[in-house]
Amino acid sequence: MSTQTSPIIRLVSVGKRFGDFEALVDVDLEVRPGERIVICGPSGSGKSTLIRCINRMEKHTSGTIVVNGHELTDDLRDIDAVRREIGMVFQSFNLFPHMTVLRNLTIAQRLVRKTPKAEAEAVAMHFLERVRIPEQAAKYPAQLSGGQQQRVAIARALCMKPRIMLFDEPTSALDPEMISEVLEVMVDLAGDGMTMVCVTHEMGFARSVADRVIFMDRGRLVEQADPETFFTRPQNERTALFLRQILRH
Amino acid sequence: MTGWWDDYLWAALTVAKVFVCSLVFMVVFGLSGAAAKLSSSKPAQAVANAYTVFFRGTPEILVVLLLYFGSAVTLTAVGRLFDPSIRFLDIPPFWAGTIAIALVVGAYATETFRGAFLGVSPGSIEAARALGMSGLQTFVYIRIPEMWRLALPPFGNHMLSLVKDTALISIIGLEEMLFVAKQATSTTGKPFTMYIVVGLIYLAFSTLVTGLTMALEHHANRHLRAPT
Repeated sequence: MSTQTSPIIRLVSVGKRFGDFEALVDVDLEVRPGERIVICGPSGSGKSTLIRCINRMEKHTSGTIVVNGHELTDDLRDIDAVRREIGMVFQSFNLFPHMTVLRNLTIAQRLVRKTPKAEAEAVAMHFLERVRIPEQAAKYPAQLSGGQQQRVAIARALCMKPRIMLFDEPTSALDPEMISEVLEVMVDLAGDGMTMVCVTHEMGFARSVADRVIFMDRGRLVEQADPETFFTRPQNERTALFLRQILRH
Repeated sequence: MTGWWDDYLWAALTVAKVFVCSLVFMVVFGLSGAAAKLSSSKPAQAVANAYTVFFRGTPEILVVLLLYFGSAVTLTAVGRLFDPSIRFLDIPPFWAGTIAIALVVGAYATETFRGAFLGVSPGSIEAARALGMSGLQTFVYIRIPEMWRLALPPFGNHMLSLVKDTALISIIGLEEMLFVAKQATSTTGKPFTMYIVVGLIYLAFSTLVTGLTMALEHHANRHLRAPT
């Protein structure tokens, strides 16, 4: 791990409460440009909440989050600035159902970036080709398979030319035979040097792509290590138990 | 029937005008009501609740009468302050009636739109915000189109209500079809003929509106059909 580059994402003792429930407790995390991080942990451990705080889909209740030099506060300009740098991919795709694939990919470019129509469409087709479904441009999301929809969702985020991509369990809602087509696209992206923070239970992906694997439990970062160490010599009892449970099948 | 066709034609045209104008107001009232009910402002919610309770709970013909005479009494009183010789001032029956039926049907549309807004998938909204779209952009490009599809079937009913409610406005003296039929009856002594014509014209109108609703639904659901 090099220490020369300054982190693009920095979380300092971040906490998040939902009423009495503490979803995140005292989380410290630094992500450097180009780094690929996989976060795993049991259901309800706060991993989704953590990445949703990074682009302010959730508001953290204590601590500090700085993304690309912008601190996340209630200042809307900083939130907009941060969201422009971050692409997000959701578990349930969240494509706009009433728009064609092409329009799903151009709408934010045109409204947020003010990109002219022809240029936005060219960018959209470029990324549809990268996720290998340019022939689906004229279709509506409901006419695609789950795997195709998720690839469109990845392309939609990439059209905004983000510096960071957040993945919130991108393959959890997919039928088994479609998982690999989405993972392939993510591996491609990793090869291009994109900064990626992925919540996923795809341990094969974590092993082959991640620079660092993080285990969370009950709102805390319990353990983080390079994949080799993480999978073969987990330090924490809970990490070991979790790995035994998910690697059993 | 001879000699009455042009009267019916003009009356039908009036009905069409009332329908189009009240449709615009109805959508405005319905969207405002739904926005108020879904807002976090307690006063806005209270006003919207009072609105739907009153206009859904009163006979429509009464609302037409109250709005016309209520506004006329007020206008006359205010007018007399400036010119004591004024005997009667009113809002034209066309506008009083149009607003009255739009208020009533708008109260029903408020609930339709509210339910439809609640049916918009939160995932789409989240994706829009994550892409950096503003609240207003998200509302115009994501919420409204998705809401619209869900609202359309009951909205078709509201449009039919408006078509039929236009008949109520004859009571405040608008020369629409019932008004003409009544006149024709008193001269010709053929009430059934004169009123059945009105019925047939209304049926033609409502058939047109139903067809329009079906076409709109077909268009709004285009993304759910198999690709052609």
